[in-house]
Amino acid sequence: MIRGAVAIFKRDFKKFLSNPFVVIMTLMMPIMYLVIFGNAFGGTISHVPVGVVQEVPPYNDTPLFTSAAAALNHIPQKDYPKLLDVTVYTDEKKAKQDLARGLISAVIVFPSEISNDHAVRLYVDSSNSIIPALVESAVRGVLASLGAHNPVTVNKIYGDIKYIQFFGVGVIMMAIFTSTMFGGGIALIRDREAGIHEGYLVTPVKRTSIIAGIISSGTVRAFIAGFTIFLIDILITGITIQSVEVFLLVLLVILIACIGVTSLVVSFASRFSAQQEYASVVAFLNLILFMTSGAFYPVIGMPDWLRWITIINPEYYGVDALRGIILRGQGLDVIGMDLIALLIFSGAMFILGIATYRRTLE
Amino acid sequence: MSQPVAEGGKTGTDPAEAVTVCTVVPNASSIIRIDHLTKIFRERNRTVTAVDDVTFEVWRGEIFGLLGPNGAGKSTLIRMLTTLLHPTSGTACVDSYDIIRAPEKIRGIIGVCPQNSTLDIELTAYDNLEFYGKLVNVDDSILDSRILELLEMAELADRAHMKVQTFSGGMRRKLEIVRAFIHHPLILFLDEPTIGLDPEARHEVWQQIAKLNEEKTTIILTTHYMDEAEKLCNRIAFVDKGRLIALDILENLKQLIPAGDLIEIGFDRMDEGILSVIRGMALINSVEIKGTRLIISAKNGSKVLPEIVAVFEKFSVPMTSISIRSPSLEDVFIHLTGKKLDDGQNQDAKPARGGIPR
Repeated sequence: MIRGAVAIFKRDFKKFLSNPFVVIMTLMMPIMYLVIFGNAFGGTISHVPVGVVQEVPPYNDTPLFTSAAAALNHIPQKDYPKLLDVTVYTDEKKAKQDLARGLISAVIVFPSEISNDHAVRLYVDSSNSIIPALVESAVRGVLASLGAHNPVTVNKIYGDIKYIQFFGVGVIMMAIFTSTMFGGGIALIRDREAGIHEGYLVTPVKRTSIIAGIISSGTVRAFIAGFTIFLIDILITGITIQSVEVFLLVLLVILIACIGVTSLVVSFASRFSAQQEYASVVAFLNLILFMTSGAFYPVIGMPDWLRWITIINPEYYGVDALRGIILRGQGLDVIGMDLIALLIFSGAMFILGIATYRRTLE
Repeated sequence: MSQPVAEGGKTGTDPAEAVTVCTVVPNASSIIRIDHLTKIFRERNRTVTAVDDVTFEVWRGEIFGLLGPNGAGKSTLIRMLTTLLHPTSGTACVDSYDIIRAPEKIRGIIGVCPQNSTLDIELTAYDNLEFYGKLVNVDDSILDSRILELLEMAELADRAHMKVQTFSGGMRRKLEIVRAFIHHPLILFLDEPTIGLDPEARHEVWQQIAKLNEEKTTIILTTHYMDEAEKLCNRIAFVDKGRLIALDILENLKQLIPAGDLIEIGFDRMDEGILSVIRGMALINSVEIKGTRLIISAKNGSKVLPEIVAVFEKFSVPMTSISIRSPSLEDVFIHLTGKKLDDGQNQDAKPARGGIPR
């Protein structure tokens, strides 16, 4: 009995050691969890863009406004950069437009004088789960330090958004990603292992056709997964879809995100010959891309180096666009940039996929 | 991730040379011309010359056999001819196309049945053929009738809509062979078509190959089974350690060893005296000891056998077995290379699934 156990142990261990790539990835995973999880969630939020504006009349800045704006702009945080980046607006309407476009996270409207009956009006982007509360407490703190006892009214411009709604939208992207990574990618490698790709290679079918075929089938599968989660979001988290246009826009974003993510997976899955190596890379990518997508926690709370990953992370653009449409009711004018970014990413990955697909067995 | 990297040698890809080599007179007798083809695999600090300076021609319409032990380089050679691998040096022309310069053209005129199955076992027989038919541009209007025709040919018509995973090894092989034939290729490559099949299934596959050859398709097959090469092939090339050792029709190959029969006598102990007496007898070509067997080549085996037995009795050396036979292809191979075809020593050179022969 012992001999058999030892033999099996030795064989397994030999196989483990014979693949240094997998060994390294196995060790890297917990380290990456530590670094990315820790920074993505534990990070202190700073540089939140907010707008301040003085109520009219009067048409010149009051002392309250000037000192409050200055104080808000210089809220210190121990060991971290300041909390708010204040932009001064002269026109309340313009400030609210920028808020609606997502350029700033809150608008603070100051009344003309310090008094109990003139409220400080605070407009916050409630599609974000954490920032509104931070801004509110900052405003109250500044008012208190100036000895102003004006009441503060908080207007959530997108109504009350529960965390599950905030998070649920992010999960649509996660569904697309996991179904592609673990479904499509593994299927691709299994087909390669089963020699089905060798069968393709001796036929006149073009490399472009092979990649286009694989990506389009993967895209449809990912789309089904994303769409299903979208429906579940509607049923369970209580998000509401205002119109057919909004519904179609959501589908468009899901589709483009699917093409991007599938192309990414195909472009690197076609380089792997073994499932084990692929799986360890996928787990790693899934972690890093999902954590930095902003699905859990606002991207603004991440350290700069992690935010660089966000810039090239297709999931970030997908999550941002979906939140814009579903939670904030924004249209193409606002989320257009996200879509362009996703399309550029998809195009680049498609080309990479074709370039890296081996037309021979070498 | 640890795929071996082929040597980047570009000798033999000289454009001018390649163009002149492959422009060929129509109706020429040869359909494949291989010219000093070499393939070297390099993995870490080990280099393996899988195909070593091979030159030969395949004639139009024949069944050509590449015969050699496992790891002889047969599959690598086939993979170069089917554009799956780039040669390290040398060239080859398939019909009028160069394998390096016009791989797409070649893929359109060949059918390939690789050693490892490339069937999708989760699809039905029909779906496999339909899928492949579309990849090789079989016209949609004739595709359905062509599939049914092929299934009929492979005697699988009643199983057309069953998943391939329910098929036996022989049925899968036959399906794969007809699949490679779906677009009436000029040349059909079969890499070890009957490996791992039982005798009955092998016979069925052989019949099928012969049937396909009747349709004017040139067939190139690799095998390490002597009987397969003997039964099917017009011409046979012996390959060992990447080199071409002999190439001819079966009858001519058999003349490569001294005429006569082979007598094998098993023994437990041997007496030197016996050997010298036998060597001195008339009609004896050669005498040698292989392990516990005495192998005697003699002109008229059945006539000298009683005398040999008498010699053994005279020296009171017991015999454990006696056999007598005419030389087979295997004996020719042993004669040429000094080893048996399915010797175990080349096992490690068997190609990995989906990968590259090491």
